[in-house]
Amino acid sequence: MAVTLPEGNLQSRLKSYLDGFNNQHGLEESAVENNVVRLVVPPEIVPAVLTMAREALGVLHLAFITVVDRQGSFELTYELLDLRGGIVRVKTTIEGEEPVIDTVTNIYPTANWHEREAYDMFGVAFKGHPDLRRTYMWQDHFDHHPLLKSFEISTRRTFEGLR
Amino acid sequence: MSMLGQDKREESITLSGRESGRLASPDVRDEFGLETLDMNMGPQHPAMHGLLRLILELDGETVVRCDPVMGYLHRCQEKIAENRMYPAVIPLTDRLDYFANMHNEHGYVLAVEDLLDVEIPPRAEYIRVLMCELMRLASHIPSLGFLMLELGAFTPILYCFRERERIQTIFEAVTGARMMFHYIRIGGVKADLPPDIPQKIWDYLEGLEQRFQSDFVDLIQGNEIFISRTRGVGTMSQEKALEMGLTGPPLRCTGVDFDIRRDYPYSIYPELEFDVITDQAGDVEASYRVRIAEALQSIRLIKQCLEKMPEGEVMGDLGRRLRPAEGDGFGRVESPRGEFSVHVVSDGSDTPYRVHYRDPSFCNMQLLQEVIPGHYLPDIMPIMGLIDPVSGGWDK
Repeated sequence: MAVTLPEGNLQSRLKSYLDGFNNQHGLEESAVENNVVRLVVPPEIVPAVLTMAREALGVLHLAFITVVDRQGSFELTYELLDLRGGIVRVKTTIEGEEPVIDTVTNIYPTANWHEREAYDMFGVAFKGHPDLRRTYMWQDHFDHHPLLKSFEISTRRTFEGLR
Repeated sequence: MSMLGQDKREESITLSGRESGRLASPDVRDEFGLETLDMNMGPQHPAMHGLLRLILELDGETVVRCDPVMGYLHRCQEKIAENRMYPAVIPLTDRLDYFANMHNEHGYVLAVEDLLDVEIPPRAEYIRVLMCELMRLASHIPSLGFLMLELGAFTPILYCFRERERIQTIFEAVTGARMMFHYIRIGGVKADLPPDIPQKIWDYLEGLEQRFQSDFVDLIQGNEIFISRTRGVGTMSQEKALEMGLTGPPLRCTGVDFDIRRDYPYSIYPELEFDVITDQAGDVEASYRVRIAEALQSIRLIKQCLEKMPEGEVMGDLGRRLRPAEGDGFGRVESPRGEFSVHVVSDGSDTPYRVHYRDPSFCNMQLLQEVIPGHYLPDIMPIMGLIDPVSGGWDK
């Protein structure tokens, strides 16, 4: 079976992407710049925005999910590629020490392991994930999430003296 | 956090995770009173690519469930990177996917340069691409050898490692190291090519082209045992491959025409001519054909780099202590295994606030869970050869 990749001029397609996003969702911020669509959305509508990106706009590939610990809140970046030069970059912020967000595995099945990794490293829980286990750390008797800023490593050095 | 949020969180972890993520299969018997057998393959297994444990549920010799368990080589590179200055992260990236060191360095350096907005001397760009394509040859050719080794043929890996050895000799002359190069730096490359190296690369390519057909195509491609062990094994459709987030040869062997070098161009790739290789079959044999053809395209790219390489500086002037402005930097390169992306978040200090690697080995390995069930036990190793994962890559 063959997959059809999106056709057409990249800039115009991305413009229409953005119009579609604006009309349907309450976005906090959006911009198109050099084939990159940047979207900042509240966490509740992330699955809706990603569904739209996949179903209506033909963005077929989820490259990665980055979690950044902002000490008090978590910033998630979903990087989506349309395989023809276009990038949709969805950012969201989850407040609180014990973050929960809806899973996107039903939209992009590849998110499965990316979300498992995010849970392992940051403790971000993905509601509705089919198999939310740790990827790297021990399954039992290990209650830490190593990439949190509160998890100090013993060899932390500062470079104040260096010029 | 509200009580409601707490409940949701607990629910999502306990109900979905701890029960479905079973490490042993339940005691279920079929109508003949037979139950399935649990088997661990790895973490130390002579044919396994590095340290990977596969929990297999077997019904006779057919695999019913395959569950990869990772983390035996996890070094938490991302955490270490947060505690080092920007240039000091480059030697760490060498230790990620240790069969594509140049690509890892290139991806990270591109991400930091995205933050810094610096001018790279054109000669440095050509040297980077030259080194990356040599690295791709040094990765694709041994991966054929690994595939054949897993099928029980010992001879091809000797030929493959002979080629890799010669490329490593070139790397040693250029960078001073055979595997952990630390050659691509922020703003350029460490040093210019030694004067005799272009001629050595030309000589090597000439020899490789003569040997290529006889050593890697004629020896393997028509072999009856090779065909019977690989044709139709691990077949997947284009939709499935895209759903699983595959990139690189595993995606291209299904026929999806996607290559970061062409579709998300970086460095000087827009100025070079090369073809994106695809194959329609989507099985192990197709991935072998894709790798063979990509190696030939790499030879073509290396020749163009050597012909077009301008003279000049190889390192931009950046100063010693880098302090990029606040923001996000993205670097994306086509490594031999697929899309290698780096996301660097800066908070304005001299250490990265967050470094995230998207490693192709990690993402491509989702294929194991989806494709292996239904295959026979001996087919697992050819399917691993299709992905060609590297332990340092999936374990970060």
